Amino acid sequence: MTFNKIKYAIAIVVIMQAGTSCKKDFLEVAPRGTALEGNFYKTDGEVYQGLIATYDVMQWGNSGGYTMKMPLLSAASDDCYAGGSSPSDQPNWVAFDNFKMDSRVGPQVGLWSKNFTGVYRANILLAKMELNTSLTPAFKTRVAAEAKFLRAYFYFDLVRFFGRVPLITKMLETSELYTQKQVDPALVYTQIEKDLREAFSALPASVAATEKGRISQGAAKALLGKVLLYSNENAKMTEAASLLKDVNSNYGYQLLPNFGDIFDPKNKFSAESILEIPHSNNAAWGDWGFINGGEGNVAPQFIGADSYSGPLYSNGWGFCPVTESLVDFMKNDPRFAFTIIDGKDLKSQGATYTARYQNTDYFIKKYAPLAAVRATSGTAELNWPINEIEIRLADTYLMEAEALVRAGGDQGRAQTLLDLVRARVGLTSVPATIDNIYNERRLELATEGHRFFDLVRTKKAAAALTGFAVGKSEHLPIPQDEIDLTKGGITQNPGYN
Amino acid sequence: MKRSITLIFFACCLLISPFASRAQEVTVTGKVTEKANGQPLPGVTVTVQGTSKATSTDAAGRYAITAAPGAKLEFRQLGMKPQIITVSGTTLDVSLTGDETSLNEIVVIGYGTQKKSVVTGAISSVKASDLENMPVTRIEQSLQGRTAGLTITGASGQPGSGATLRIRGTTTIGNSDALFIVDGVQVDGGIDYLSQSDIESIEVLKDAASASIYGARGGNGVVLVTTKKGKDTDGKIRVNYNGFVGTQAPDHKLKLLNAAQYATLYNEAAVAGSKAANPATAIRFPDPAALGEGTDWQSEVFNNSALWHNQELSFQGGSARSTYFSSLGYFDQEGIVASKNSRYKRFTARFNSQHKITDAITFGNNIGYTRINSIGVATNDEYGSPLVRAINMDPITPAVERDPAKFNAPPYSNFPVVRNSEGFPYGISPYAQSEILNPLGALAVAQGNNWSDKIVANLFLEVEPLKGLKLRSSGGVDLAFWGDQSFRPVFYLSPTTELKLNAYTRNMNRGLFWTQENTATYSGTIGDHHFQVLAGMSAQKNKGENLGGLKEGIPVNNLKDASLQFPVARLDNNFYGGEYLSTLSSLFGRVTYDFKERYLFTGVIRRDGSSRFGPNNKYGYFPSVSLGWVASKEAFFPENKVISLLKFRGSYGVTGNDRIGDFRYLSTVSGGRNYSVGTGLLPVLVNGVSPNALSNPDLKWEETTSTNIGLDAVLFNTFTFTADVFTKKTTDMLLDVRVPLYVGNNGPIGNIATLTNKGIEFEMGYSKTVGEVSFKANANATFIKNRIDFLGEDKEFLTGARITPQQLELTRTAVGHAIGSFYGYRSEGLFQNTADVANYKNAAGNPIQPDAKPGDIRFADLNGDGKINDADREFIGDPTPDFSYGLTLSAAWKGFDFLIFGQGVAGNQIFNGLRRFDLPSSNYTTEALGRWTGEGSTNSFPRLTTDDANQNFGRVSKMFIENGDYFRIKTVQLGYTIPKLMSKKAGLDKVRIYAMANNLLTLTRYNGYDPEIGGGSFGIDRGYYPQARTFFIGLNLGF
Repeated sequence: MTFNKIKYAIAIVVIMQAGTSCKKDFLEVAPRGTALEGNFYKTDGEVYQGLIATYDVMQWGNSGGYTMKMPLLSAASDDCYAGGSSPSDQPNWVAFDNFKMDSRVGPQVGLWSKNFTGVYRANILLAKMELNTSLTPAFKTRVAAEAKFLRAYFYFDLVRFFGRVPLITKMLETSELYTQKQVDPALVYTQIEKDLREAFSALPASVAATEKGRISQGAAKALLGKVLLYSNENAKMTEAASLLKDVNSNYGYQLLPNFGDIFDPKNKFSAESILEIPHSNNAAWGDWGFINGGEGNVAPQFIGADSYSGPLYSNGWGFCPVTESLVDFMKNDPRFAFTIIDGKDLKSQGATYTARYQNTDYFIKKYAPLAAVRATSGTAELNWPINEIEIRLADTYLMEAEALVRAGGDQGRAQTLLDLVRARVGLTSVPATIDNIYNERRLELATEGHRFFDLVRTKKAAAALTGFAVGKSEHLPIPQDEIDLTKGGITQNPGYN
Repeated sequence: MKRSITLIFFACCLLISPFASRAQEVTVTGKVTEKANGQPLPGVTVTVQGTSKATSTDAAGRYAITAAPGAKLEFRQLGMKPQIITVSGTTLDVSLTGDETSLNEIVVIGYGTQKKSVVTGAISSVKASDLENMPVTRIEQSLQGRTAGLTITGASGQPGSGATLRIRGTTTIGNSDALFIVDGVQVDGGIDYLSQSDIESIEVLKDAASASIYGARGGNGVVLVTTKKGKDTDGKIRVNYNGFVGTQAPDHKLKLLNAAQYATLYNEAAVAGSKAANPATAIRFPDPAALGEGTDWQSEVFNNSALWHNQELSFQGGSARSTYFSSLGYFDQEGIVASKNSRYKRFTARFNSQHKITDAITFGNNIGYTRINSIGVATNDEYGSPLVRAINMDPITPAVERDPAKFNAPPYSNFPVVRNSEGFPYGISPYAQSEILNPLGALAVAQGNNWSDKIVANLFLEVEPLKGLKLRSSGGVDLAFWGDQSFRPVFYLSPTTELKLNAYTRNMNRGLFWTQENTATYSGTIGDHHFQVLAGMSAQKNKGENLGGLKEGIPVNNLKDASLQFPVARLDNNFYGGEYLSTLSSLFGRVTYDFKERYLFTGVIRRDGSSRFGPNNKYGYFPSVSLGWVASKEAFFPENKVISLLKFRGSYGVTGNDRIGDFRYLSTVSGGRNYSVGTGLLPVLVNGVSPNALSNPDLKWEETTSTNIGLDAVLFNTFTFTADVFTKKTTDMLLDVRVPLYVGNNGPIGNIATLTNKGIEFEMGYSKTVGEVSFKANANATFIKNRIDFLGEDKEFLTGARITPQQLELTRTAVGHAIGSFYGYRSEGLFQNTADVANYKNAAGNPIQPDAKPGDIRFADLNGDGKINDADREFIGDPTPDFSYGLTLSAAWKGFDFLIFGQGVAGNQIFNGLRRFDLPSSNYTTEALGRWTGEGSTNSFPRLTTDDANQNFGRVSKMFIENGDYFRIKTVQLGYTIPKLMSKKAGLDKVRIYAMANNLLTLTRYNGYDPEIGGGSFGIDRGYYPQARTFFIGLNLGF
């Protein structure tokens, strides 16, 4: 071999080395122009968008079937029937109404999916923020508190609807996707309490008008009080009472003087409102296939009288006709006129509507589709800008009174709270017994979505609800697909097998 | 003492040696050429028989060897018939003839070549001579029917359109496109940039044993294209010219109803569907006969004399040190449908050269540049293609409205209607609906074109530092710039199709694909053991970007003047862009070994790392082994005149498919998860962002494991036969993973599904020369069965194609069936009378088809539930052929040469969706004249009614499924080469003229234009752009 050849051979070898030098990071390329889970949640702005996506789930009413809590839970309770055009219009609602659900029929898929989506979005937000040191500290603290509140909020719905659920508080690894197991409800409650306790200290005492819709300290405390009450452990009643007292006394909430103003869509985030879920029509939504993409509340559309034509209201679909039981119970109560629309009155005003399945000629008034706020852009049915009030002051008054009575606490304060609720609508005092407090809850909070869980937690459901089976109907069935996909790792709730 | 003996010995040697050679031997020199073309043959082994003396010819074909007068010189080269000549002087020129039946030809395999006799994998090879002068737009089309195991279906007859190429079946439910390697460079954007005369050979690597050297890219099979290299011509420049010009026409038109027939049937359907008290009021055309023939829309859109010409000029030559091949080409083809809107022009230039820097160092390059300019129409689309419009348009409306009474009245007078060059408006139909409108008007407003500039280049340096060891380093790029523009003027075509603001769109793209590879190859021989060891590394990167913009309301009215530079209001501006990137890094090795060319072994392993794979599966290993046994070389194999070669092959290996998209393992986030913040009726809508789906760090390639058993035989020295049986199992095909809802997000994409292809293929060849007539025949056949094995725990099927605006499900990819099988109702003839309808009842005694009337289709109640609904559907056909075959016959006599080539498929079905049955105003073929008109009139074509309550035409049923078998005479060519003596006088080495016909005849029972329906709507005829029948004349010149 000549010297020249050697030189060239060396050159070749050098070239070959050049080829290998970039080996390792050569494959480590990242896409550009695409936001990835891995590179998102970096700045305050991105984290805020992640938080908004978590809040977004609160206002979902359709995540695998319609699941708007207010009308759905009213249908399940003795306040309303399911209604609709026929039993096959929303069979899931009818099945919940008469407790004939099975693993495939019932509102379980939507509720399970909605709340676990919320849990996932809160979990990823918390996980991503934890590793991020470049966020503004005050911002980070507040958002983390909101995420924990939201996780607790979604888990509270899950544990109430389903009892035993998987408890997931982190990002699942690929290997863990199919292996989650349901846990004892007590453990879920423990986590909810933990999240809420960690949340409220970091939340603002009051939320500015431009930020309404985000969670305040009062809302977090009110929810914790409610959670403790639902735990049904007498040992927790004292703490519940003291938390609720704090809410009722220290955050500037006030009962509105006129009961009818509470559910006037113009009075968003009123002084009485503690936890309110906003809805608006400014997404001008029109996609029936993805209703959750919009911001409207579909509940008013559901409960409005079908083919209604007349003053004040817009037409609806005739769901949740009010039961004779509630009509009877409220007929002498001054709140009747603000709670129930009497079909006879509508007709006397010259209005017409079509009677639908389970029609009683009585309709829910608190979230009724008022023509004045009907959306003019997008699909009006999907864009009702009517907020949902999940916790309001009259509710926390009654909850504190209940906690005081059950804890054997300050009975005088319990009496005062009950009296305040009644006095607003011009009713005289009744003794603050536990039964009177429960009666008052039904009257004050009728059709707001509290009744069903009140009946269940006070063990009065079997007596009040036709078809309710103790030991079964307290909870919804677990979605069958969930059991199938985990190959039986997730088990069905009792009574539904 | 010792020293003096050595000296004496040395002196003796000095004295004796020259003396001895002078006395007995002479130095023989000469040149070896190839008989067929006079080209020098380098590398021919020249041996003196009975001695160990041997040499080989150099690049110019020259040799020098010493031999005694009377000794026998043997000249041998692979692929050539050996010659033995007795030495009788000092110069000896020899010309060798090709050994056409032998298996001694050289086959290109990945990163090297191999003698066909020792190949153990399943490789099909097509040589330049098979491709020359074949009129195809794209090189891949020239492979159709040429080799077994390859199924090629044209994506449409539009000039420049691609083909669906499947090597041994559809390998995956994802991207089944084969890997194309041109001179060592991966080319992904299609190989239509290659000019036909530039191709030296095309090899198709079919089994895993041959494709596994391409690892994660080889799963769908590999096509290796080698371009021509220059040859040593002693410095002489050889010039070749090939050119042809042709005229194209559609094979046939459909027989559609004329205006009078259309009106009659329209009235009949309207009356039958009328809900009025007096159905006669539904009659729209009181006097159909008066409408006469009407407009023949097919003639309006078809061109019966579309031009096609192709010119190729090449220069080649060189010396012992340097050789080159350069060429220029120009290709121009008009489409037979809407020629002004369907045309493909291509300019190609190539420069290949190789240089020996020293005896041990070679440098070379293969550089091709191509510019393409094209325009196209929608080709297989039931909504907007010119053909679907021509088929479905009512024949009453004139193509151009020339009646002043009409064009001075609405809609012509009050809308911006589209006008022809004479200023008359294109006719607007008052009957046709939706997308069905005057195709000429629609073509006039579809202005635009596509272009691309592409450079594919490969440079290499090869060093042979030791005998047998070759180090090679090569770099390749595929650099492409392409784009398109379209302009839509303000127009009114129909009440539902108008544009009020003009729109101009322009897109620009750039893609760069580079590869760098280094290999070391050592070939050696130890006694009868021959072996070659290859080791290599490869890195490649594929990146690109695009930028596009749209402007509306620019102040011009045609494409020529349109520009994005015009300022318009911000709202009428839109721009967008994107980019992509992927990398691949690989190591590979191969060992080939044979003992006396009798026992053969090849082992391959490749490791591929890809940026497309998730972090947990960044690298994949792809091994293969193959064995061969040449039984006819065994000592015990009896001497006979029948079997001259008998070889058995077997292989097993694993390959992958990395065409899984970039970054699919990552989880992307999206906005739109909004929430209202603030008070009042109009709070602020804040954009919420969350991940779309889970990430999958385990995501990896799709994997194909294949087994191949093959047999090669040569009989009577004239007949070659190859058979292969194979099984390919593809696992880990990508599908969405379903996760429990408690996960709270969509599942990732995962490696889930499984399918199997099984098949048998045959290739046969025969060649014989009798006197001055030489005759050749080649045939191949392939049987393939494709079956889905698994689609995940939760899925039995995936919905594939849908049809019509109702999006009726048409195909399913289901477990136990072939990919994309047709799924629909079983039609069982027609109800002939009311009793038939009433008697078709369920267990409860109610009619199964309560809406049916006599003349309607009876659908089978497959699940027996007493009603007809979605659950009564079944698999009613399969668009993939079970059997495909090709046949080539050629003959030569004196200066004449003749070739006929045919190709066909069998066992597939076609969905005939040519008629827009969702639109009652659509025209029919004359088949509708045989519709049901009363009891006993027919049992196949249902009655016509506008309401179609029975959904005769509103359901996907067997009625629309037709047999897709065909055999096509693809090419017939007759050539004449002027005798050399005559052409020499004109200074030419070769003059050949030829005439040719393409797609001369197609035998099929299919009722549409063309049974060969490839592309995205495989086997679904939505108005397929048929392939043209073409007649050409051509000329080859060489000097």
